[in-house]
Amino acid sequence: MWYPDWALRRPDTPPGEPAQAIGADHKVVAVNGAAAAFGVTVGMRRRQAEAICPAIRSLTSDPTAEAIGFEPVVAAVEKLIPRVEVVQPGMLLAPVTGAVRYYGDEWALVGRVVDTIEAVTGSGHRIGLAAGPFAARCAAELAVGEPLVVEDDRSFLRSLDVASLGREELAATFRWLGITTLGQVADLPRQAMVSRFGSEGLDAHRLAHGEDRRPQPREVPVDLAVEERFEPPLDNLDRAAFVGRALAHRLLTETGRHGSTPFRVLVEAESASGTTRSRIWRNADPFDESTLGDRIRWQLAAWLDEARLHHGPGIGGGVVRLRLVPADLSDQGRQLALHEDARRAAETHRTLVQTQALVGPDRVLTTRPQGGRDPGDRVQWSRWDDRPTAPSRDQAAPWPGAVPAPSPALIPDKPTPFEVEWDGGMPERVRLGSRWEPVLSWAGPWRRMGRWWEGEPHADRYQIVTSAGAFLCEVRDGATYLTGIYD
Amino acid sequence: MPGTSTAITALDIGAVTGAVRADRDDTVAMLRRHLPAGTSPEAVMLIPAPGQVVGLHGPAGMGLTRLGLSLVAGATEGAVACVDVRGWLCPLAAWEVGIDPDRLVVVRCDDPVTWGRVVAGLLDGMGAVYAEVPHRMREAPLRTLASAVRSKGTPLVLNPLSGTLPGGLAQLRLEGRHITWEGTGVGHGRLLRRRLVLEASGKSVKGMTRIIEVEDHGADALRVVPGLGAAPTGYAAG
Repeated sequence: MWYPDWALRRPDTPPGEPAQAIGADHKVVAVNGAAAAFGVTVGMRRRQAEAICPAIRSLTSDPTAEAIGFEPVVAAVEKLIPRVEVVQPGMLLAPVTGAVRYYGDEWALVGRVVDTIEAVTGSGHRIGLAAGPFAARCAAELAVGEPLVVEDDRSFLRSLDVASLGREELAATFRWLGITTLGQVADLPRQAMVSRFGSEGLDAHRLAHGEDRRPQPREVPVDLAVEERFEPPLDNLDRAAFVGRALAHRLLTETGRHGSTPFRVLVEAESASGTTRSRIWRNADPFDESTLGDRIRWQLAAWLDEARLHHGPGIGGGVVRLRLVPADLSDQGRQLALHEDARRAAETHRTLVQTQALVGPDRVLTTRPQGGRDPGDRVQWSRWDDRPTAPSRDQAAPWPGAVPAPSPALIPDKPTPFEVEWDGGMPERVRLGSRWEPVLSWAGPWRRMGRWWEGEPHADRYQIVTSAGAFLCEVRDGATYLTGIYD
Repeated sequence: MPGTSTAITALDIGAVTGAVRADRDDTVAMLRRHLPAGTSPEAVMLIPAPGQVVGLHGPAGMGLTRLGLSLVAGATEGAVACVDVRGWLCPLAAWEVGIDPDRLVVVRCDDPVTWGRVVAGLLDGMGAVYAEVPHRMREAPLRTLASAVRSKGTPLVLNPLSGTLPGGLAQLRLEGRHITWEGTGVGHGRLLRRRLVLEASGKSVKGMTRIIEVEDHGADALRVVPGLGAAPTGYAAG
C-alpha cells in the first residue's frame, strides 16, 4: 500500500498548487496530483522537477513527523493483517496469504483494508497485490483509482518499463542497448547479465523474474537479536534515538561477523507500563547503520507520540527494553577495499553529508580521469553523492596535441585574458599584475584544432616560464588567454 | 637505513597529540605507514604529522598548490579533502602527486564565514585536509581551526590566497623563495621538472629557520635535494 503524497500531507502544503517534498538526497520523495500532471515523478532530482514545473512549491521532507502520522494507518492495517512491514512512511507491505484465506478472496480483503484506512486517512492510497514485494510495489504505483491485483507476477512485470527497477543509471544503459521492458531484461541469460553489469545486473535480472525474496545465504545458527534494557526508562526521543542508533551498530556488527546484512528488522520496545510493541521495517537494500538508525528513531517517535498526545497504546512511561531482531539476511554487504576501515568510511560519509548541507550539494565534488587535450578536459567532475557515470571521452585514445604532464595545479574557471608581449612570434615578457616579467624560456606552440563546424577557432598553446612561475596560455583569434598556472 | 635516524630526529614528536606522545616508536611507525612508497626519508620532515597545521606562503606561481597537495598525499592513506576557494584547483595535479582519484574530494567554498565551519567539519571525517584560505579571513576562526586540528588529529595544510597566517598558528611554515623550471628552451622542449627553494620555520623544525630545496620531477613531488637543505641560518624570533 502506498501513498504517493504522504510527505505532503501537512498543513503548509498549498492546496491545489503543484507541490513536491524533497528528501535529504535532494530527490523528490512525494508529489501531489497537480505536480504529477506536469510530469513530476517520485525519484526525480529537485532541479529536474523544478525545470519541468517552475511554479512547483518545494517542501523539505520530515520523515520523523511523517512516521508519526503514518503510525495510525499501520495500526489500522495491522488489525486486519498481522506482521505488517513498513518500508518508509507512506508505504507498507503486508503478507496477505493467511488473510485472503480468512476473508474469502483478495477482493474481499482489499475492500476491508480500503474501508479501514479511508476511515483513518481518507483517500489517496494505492494498493497493489502480488506474490512478491517488488511486483506488489510496482502494482501499487500503477493502481490509480482502484486496487490492482496481480495474478501472475512474471507476466505482469514483463510489460513494465526498466525504470521500475529504481536504478537510473542501469535503466539508461538498458535503454541505450535497446532494452526497454523488464520482459526483455528477463529474457537475457543471467550469466551474461552478471558478466556485464555485476551484482547490480544480477539484482535486476532477479527482480525482472519476480524473484525478489532473497534466500538466506547460509545457516546462521546463533540468535543475532540485540537488546538493551534501560533503568530509568527512556522517555526522551533524542536519548532513545541515540541508544537505538548504538543498538543498530551492534546488530550490524553482529550480522557482519557472519558475513550477512538484514533486509528486514523487527523493532520491539517494551514500555514501563508493561506493553510490548513491535514493528517490522523493510528496506530495498540491506540496512546500514544510518538507515536502520533512522527507522528506529521514526518508530520510537511514533510510539512515544502516540502515548503522549493521543493516549493510545504507544509506549507509555518510556522505554525499558529495546530489541532488534534481523530477518531476511543477505550476503550482500558493501565490500570495502583492503585498506579501508568501515568506521572511517562511515565518518567520511557523515562529514561529507554535513559539508553538502553547508555549501550545497553541487559544491562537494569527486573527480575521475577521462581523455582530452587540455588539462580541464581530462577531468570528469561529479557530485560526491552521485554514482559516477562512464567517462564521456576515452582515456586510452591517443589525443594528439594533449598538454603533457606535469599538469598545471590551477586552471581558471574561464580563460582569462593574459598580456604577453610578442616579438616575431616569440614571447618576450608577460604582465603579472602591475609588473612585466621577462620570459626565461618557453615551449610550444601545440595546436588544438577547434570544432570548425561549431565555429570554434583553432588555438595555439604555449608553456611560458618566468622567474615568478610557469604558465600555460593559448592564443586564439589574435588574443592570448591564461589557461593554467603551474603553481 | 642511514637517512632514517636523521628523519626521526627531525620529527617534532612533541607536536603529535597527547595520546601518542608517550610512545615514540609507535608514533614514528604510524607516520611512516602513511608515507607513499618511495618517499625520501628527508621529505618525512615536511609531511604534516597528525594534529599538525602546515602554513604555505608565497605568491601564485611559486608552486605552493602542488606542494600542499604533495604534503596531504603523504600524510594519509585515507580520504583527502581540498577546499578550493576560487574554483581553480586542477585535480590532475593532485593525481600526479599521488592522491588517488577515489580518495579525493574537492569542496568549493568562497564564503569566509562558511569556510571555517566547512574546514572544521572536514577535519572530523577526512584523513587530511588541504585548504586555500580566502581573502580577508579573520584570525579568530583560524585559531579555532588550529585547536580543532590538535584535538582531532587530522593534518591540515593551509594556503592563504593573500597575506600570511597569524603567527604561531602553523607548526610548520613553508615560504616559497624561488622556483626554477627545467625542460623548456626557446620554442622547444616542455616543462619537465621544477626546483623549489623553501624557507621552513616553526616548531616542527625546532624553531630554526632552514632552507630546503625540493625537486619535483613528476613521479616524486617531494624529493628533497640532498646537501642543500641543512644550513641553519639562525633562530626564529618569538
